[in-house]
Amino acid sequence: MDRQAAQSGRVQSDGTHEGFLRHANFRWLKIATMISLLAIVSYLIIDVQPRHNGGSWYGYTLGSIGVLMILWLSLLGIRKRRMSRGHWSLKAWTSAHAYLGLSLIVIGTLHTGFQLGWNVHTLAYVLMMIVILSGIWGISVYATVPKIMSANRDQTTEAQMLASLRSIDRQLHDAAQPLDQNHAELVRGSLDQDPFGGGIIRRMTNRYPACQTIAAHEKIMLFTESAPRTRDDPLEKVASLLGRKRAILARTRKHLQLKAMLEIWLHFHVPLTFALIAALIAHIVSVFFYW
Amino acid sequence: MNFLVRQISRTSDGREIIRAYPHDVREIIVGREASCEIHLTDLAVEMRHARLTLQANGKLEIAALAGLGFEVDGRYTSQAIIDPAGGAEMRFGGHLLVISEEDSVVVITVERIEVLSDSTKERDEIGLFTLRGVLPSRRIMAWTLSVIVLLALLVLPIYTFYNYQNSEKRPAAFHADSLWSSGSLSSPHAGLGMNCQSCHTEAFVAVRDSSCVSCHDDAHEHADPKRLKLAKAPLDWDGKISRKIADSFNRPEGRCVECHNEHEGAGPMEDTKQQFCSSCHTDMNKRLTDTKIANAGDFGTAHPQFKPTVITANGSPPKRERISLDQKPVENSGLKFPHNLHLSQTNGVARMAGRLGKPFDFGEALECKDCHVKTPDGVGFKPIDMEQNCSQCHNLGLEKIGNTVRTLRHGDPKMVVADLRAFYRSGGPYSVRTQQSMEGRRRPGDYARSQPYYAYFGSVNYSRADSAIRAVFSKGGACYDCHTVIAPPAGSDNWQVQKVYQTSRYMTKGWFDHDAHDTETCSSCHAAKQSGSASELLLPGIKTCRTCHGGEASNADVPSSCAMCHSFHADEGAPWVPKYNMARKRDLSKTGVENGKAP
Repeated sequence: MDRQAAQSGRVQSDGTHEGFLRHANFRWLKIATMISLLAIVSYLIIDVQPRHNGGSWYGYTLGSIGVLMILWLSLLGIRKRRMSRGHWSLKAWTSAHAYLGLSLIVIGTLHTGFQLGWNVHTLAYVLMMIVILSGIWGISVYATVPKIMSANRDQTTEAQMLASLRSIDRQLHDAAQPLDQNHAELVRGSLDQDPFGGGIIRRMTNRYPACQTIAAHEKIMLFTESAPRTRDDPLEKVASLLGRKRAILARTRKHLQLKAMLEIWLHFHVPLTFALIAALIAHIVSVFFYW
Repeated sequence: MNFLVRQISRTSDGREIIRAYPHDVREIIVGREASCEIHLTDLAVEMRHARLTLQANGKLEIAALAGLGFEVDGRYTSQAIIDPAGGAEMRFGGHLLVISEEDSVVVITVERIEVLSDSTKERDEIGLFTLRGVLPSRRIMAWTLSVIVLLALLVLPIYTFYNYQNSEKRPAAFHADSLWSSGSLSSPHAGLGMNCQSCHTEAFVAVRDSSCVSCHDDAHEHADPKRLKLAKAPLDWDGKISRKIADSFNRPEGRCVECHNEHEGAGPMEDTKQQFCSSCHTDMNKRLTDTKIANAGDFGTAHPQFKPTVITANGSPPKRERISLDQKPVENSGLKFPHNLHLSQTNGVARMAGRLGKPFDFGEALECKDCHVKTPDGVGFKPIDMEQNCSQCHNLGLEKIGNTVRTLRHGDPKMVVADLRAFYRSGGPYSVRTQQSMEGRRRPGDYARSQPYYAYFGSVNYSRADSAIRAVFSKGGACYDCHTVIAPPAGSDNWQVQKVYQTSRYMTKGWFDHDAHDTETCSSCHAAKQSGSASELLLPGIKTCRTCHGGEASNADVPSSCAMCHSFHADEGAPWVPKYNMARKRDLSKTGVENGKAP
C-alpha cells in the first residue's frame, strides 16, 4: 500500500512537472506584480519637489531597493551551481529571479524619474534594461527552441551526428579514389573543410555560403545528371554520398544554430550584469562624491 | 632489387603496421591508381602523379606526369634529381615519402601524415556544440566590460577631480567627471561649464553655501535666523526620518541648494517651488504669534488681500500706511483729478483733445497713455508732470508778446503773485482782444463755453492785481481746480498750494510688472473711467488678479508660485526681483520657451 502510494506519488510528480515560470502557482509573478504596483502607486501619490528624480528621498529609496535586488538577482549565477530542494529550490530561486527581474523595470525606471542623459547614471539604467531584456529573450528561447530542436534532432544524439559525418567522409574518401583529378579535388574540398567554421554569424544565421560540400555536390550532379546512368559509375556513388553528407550537415548546422540561440543570450546577460554592477558602483560613488 | 617501398599505416589504437613491397624495376610510378607501384589513396594525388627513375649513376629522377607537382625537402617542383644515399623527403598530397638507401637499394618509406578529412580530426566534440569556439568566454567579456566601465566612469573622473580641485578654471576640453553630471546646469550657471570643482569643492561633502556665496556675495538672509527657525513648521514623522538620514549623510539643513535645484536642465533656473514658502507661511502666525505678516499658502486660495502703501495724511513728508484694499483706502495726494472727466469720449475734454490732435499725439478723446508714460524698463509709470502731461490744455498763459506766450510759473505761488503784480503795474488790465489772441487755449468744462482760455478765469476784468491774485487761487481759478489751496490770513499775500505727492510703487512687498501684462488693457484692471476723484485708489484687488493667476498647482491660465511676485532674499526696497530676471522671463515667454505657459 505504502509502496503503491509512493509509486503513485512519484508518477504524479512526474506527470505534473511545472516549469520555473509556473512555480508554486505563479507565486513570484504575484509578488513581483504587487511590488511593481506598489512602486507605481507610491510614485503617483508621493509629491516630490520640485519633481521626481533619483536624488529625492523617494528616489534614494527606490534606488536602494533596486541595487539590492540587482545584487540578489546576480547571485543566481552562484546559486545555480549548488543544487538543493524545497522552498528555496533552484526552481523557486529561478522563478523569483525572472519575476523580480521584471519588476526591476518598474523600480529602475521610476528611480530615474524619467530624467535620462549621457551620463553614468543613465548608463547604469540602460545596462540594467539590456540585461533584463536579454533575460526576457532567454526565457522566450527556452520556451520555444527546445521543441524545434527536438524535432530537428529526430532521435539522433550529438555524438551520432558527428559519427555519421565521419562515416560518410570515410566512404567519400574511398569512393572518390577512382575519380579524375578535377572531381577528386571537389571531394577533397568537401573533406578538408571544417563544415561548422566561420564564426558566430554563420552559426546564428545557419548560412554557410562557402560550403564546399554543397558546391561539390552541385557541380558533380551536373555531370551525373547529363551522363547515362550506369550501375557502378564511381561519380554516381560520390554524388549520392555528397547528397547524404549535405543532409547530415543541414541537420547538424540547424542543431548548432538552435543550441547557439539557447546560449547566446547568456553572453549578453552575464557579462552585461557585471558591467551593470561596475556601472552601479560608479553611479553610487559618483553621487556621494559630488554630493 | 632496385626499390623497396615500405608502407606504414596505423591501427585505431595507434600501433604501426609496416608492409614492405620490393620492386625490381628501374622506374616506378606514384599515383592514386591501384596499379601504381606506390599507390596513395589520396585525393590530392593524381591517378598517375609522378615517375621515379633510377639513373645509371645511382641518382633518382622524379618527374611529374600530370598537372600537379610535388614537394622535395619542402620545395614545390615538378621535376627533381636526388641522391638516394643523401636521403630526401618528398610530399605528395597528404603523404610523406622518405627516400634513403640501404645496401644499394632505394628505400621509400610511405606514410600518410594528414588526416583523411576534417571530420576525422581530433576535436572537442562538446565544445563544438557550444559557443566556446566562436565567442570569447563570458568570464573574459564580464571582466573586460567591468574594467572598462570602472576605468572610464570611476577612476578617470576621480582623477580629473583631484587634478583640478584647486584650480579656478579648467582648460576647455572634455573632462571625465562631466560624465557624472545628472543634467545640464541652468543658464545663469552655464558659464561654470565643466568646472565641477566650483561647487563640488570637496569629495564626499555635500555642496555648501560657501560655494554659492563665493559669487553671490550679496545674497541676503530671508529674516532673522532665530525667527526663521521659530517660523518653521515642526517636522512630521517622515520629515524627521529624512532629516535624521540627511544628518547622518552629512547634509546640513537650510542650504541654498535645498531651494535652488541645479542640474535640472538648461534654460532659466526654475522658480523655487511654492512648497518651500508655504511650509512656513501657510500658518505662520501660530508659531510666530507676534508676526505682522499675514498667512499665505497659495495665491489662488490662501493669500490675503493686497495692502498697498497709500498716503493717508499730507505733510512733508506725507504719512504713508499699508491698508488693505478691502478697507477701501483713500489716498491724499494733494491733487484734484477726476479721471472720468478726462476719459470721457464726448465731453469738452474729448473735443479739446480731438482739436489739439496730432502735435500732442491725441486721438478723438484722451486715453491713459496721453498722460501716463511708461518708465524705460516698462515696469511702472513716470510721475505725472504738469508741464509734460497737463499744460497742453491747462496752460498758464498770461499774455502774448510777439509769438511768445508768457506764463505763470507752475509750482511757485510766490512767483505767481509777483508776476501778476508786475503785470498789472506795467499795463494791465488784460483786454478781451488779448484774450482772443490766445488762440486754441480753451479751458474745458461747461462754463468755459465760447470763452477764451486764459490764466485767470471768469468774465470779469480785474482792475486791481489783488483781485486777480485772489481769483487765481480761488474756486474757478487756475490753481484751485487742480490743487488744494491754503489761503493766507486776511491782508497777506502768502497763498500756498499743498504739495503733491505721487506714489511710484503701491505694492512694496510684492513685485508687479506692467510690461508683463501688456496683453491686457488698462481698464481691464483699473476702473479709471468710473472714478470721479483723485483720492480713489484705482488699484485692482486680488480678485481681479485671480481671474488669470492661480496657485502653482492650479488650473488657472497662469499658475503662479510665490516666487513670481515675491523674493526670498529680502533686499532693501523694491524691486524685489531683479529686473533682468523679469525681462528675461518676458523674452522667454514671448518666444514660447517657458514651458508653454501663458505670459
